[in-house]
Amino acid sequence: MNDERDELIERASLALRPLPRVNAMATARIVAAVRARRAQRPSALRLVLDGLSGRSLSLASAGALAAAALVIGFVTRGAIGARDDAAPPPVAPATRGAEVPARPAADVAGVVRAVPVPIVFSAAPNATRVSVVGDFNSWDAAAAPMRRVGKDGPWTATVLARPGRHVYAFLVDGATLVADPRAPRAQDLDYGGAASVLMVVAP
Amino acid sequence: MTKHLRVLTFAALAAIASLATLPLARASAQEPRLSLIKDDATRDVVRSLLGRAASVGLPTDPLLSKALEGVAKRATTKSIRAALAALEKRMRRASDLLGPNPPEDLAAGADALYVGVPDKTLRQMRAMAPRRSIALELGVLTELVARQVPPKQASAMVLDLMARGATGAQLTALSSAVQADVAAGIKPDLALDLRGRGVMSLLPPPPSAATLQGRPR
Repeated sequence: MNDERDELIERASLALRPLPRVNAMATARIVAAVRARRAQRPSALRLVLDGLSGRSLSLASAGALAAAALVIGFVTRGAIGARDDAAPPPVAPATRGAEVPARPAADVAGVVRAVPVPIVFSAAPNATRVSVVGDFNSWDAAAAPMRRVGKDGPWTATVLARPGRHVYAFLVDGATLVADPRAPRAQDLDYGGAASVLMVVAP
Repeated sequence: MTKHLRVLTFAALAAIASLATLPLARASAQEPRLSLIKDDATRDVVRSLLGRAASVGLPTDPLLSKALEGVAKRATTKSIRAALAALEKRMRRASDLLGPNPPEDLAAGADALYVGVPDKTLRQMRAMAPRRSIALELGVLTELVARQVPPKQASAMVLDLMARGATGAQLTALSSAVQADVAAGIKPDLALDLRGRGVMSLLPPPPSAATLQGRPR
């Protein structure tokens, strides 16, 4: 017990002992050397200018420049690639021929948020599966499968769409495109076929 | 040695430049939704057209959506190619008239041009709302013209409603009412005139031009 205490006291006393005196000359030499090296290190702009003017440029510096280019590329890519789709829809649903209060669709150019839009389809009583496809989901049959309400009720789904005009249809049993009988028909001179118009207003 | 290093510097600068534009072109080349196109020939055509659009700064989403609409409607590769080329052309025109952002406006502008809305109208609409999306207004205008309302009359009405601060809900209600009237047999120009006056009666007179710019709604 006493031995342990002695050891502790010994350690504490060692820790409290003053550090050895520093050689002031040595410190000054080190500080001067660091300052000199810092003064020699060129800035990124200097590197570029030196490179263009044919002055000496170390491989390490060139590598650093290339690394900076990569970082800029990735950051730019992230900024360009970022879409607001990932963000949770901040507003309440808009509807077909919507009559809900509007607010600006975009706070700044380029930021237009998608809103959830409920879709109902009741014209396929004998269908086994129905999807809603349109320009808001890349006409992907797997993107918005509809669910039947009850045994013989209508098919329903909610899609995310940005404010504006959209074209859509119902894919019945994975084979037949059917226009929404409750919505205006879309005029399609490119492909023809059944499709309807959905107007989405930001709440 | 100096020459070698100069070349290295130029290479680094070229990397910076290419990396800034690479994401757009690469995004179209690696677009996962292309896998929804099962036919190899069609997929190659679409990929190539998306790459071309991306290289000139056009948004590729509307083009891809148009291609996938064609696939869903079982269109041929030839008609998908033609539809995409025509849409790209209209989007370029819309970009000239509306500016490049937001992308939704370009697609909506292209649709408006498709049905016959005059170029001048797109310019005027953008001038009236330079800092927000006008996709909804363009969509309403497209629908009115698609229902056989004369483009000049529809343009004047939508511009007037925008100037008076009509809400998106009021605009879509107008569009729905005109569609219903036309379906019931009323002449399109008369339907718009009547319904437009109804909406106008709810709105204040247009403010001075100076206060219109980018006004929030």
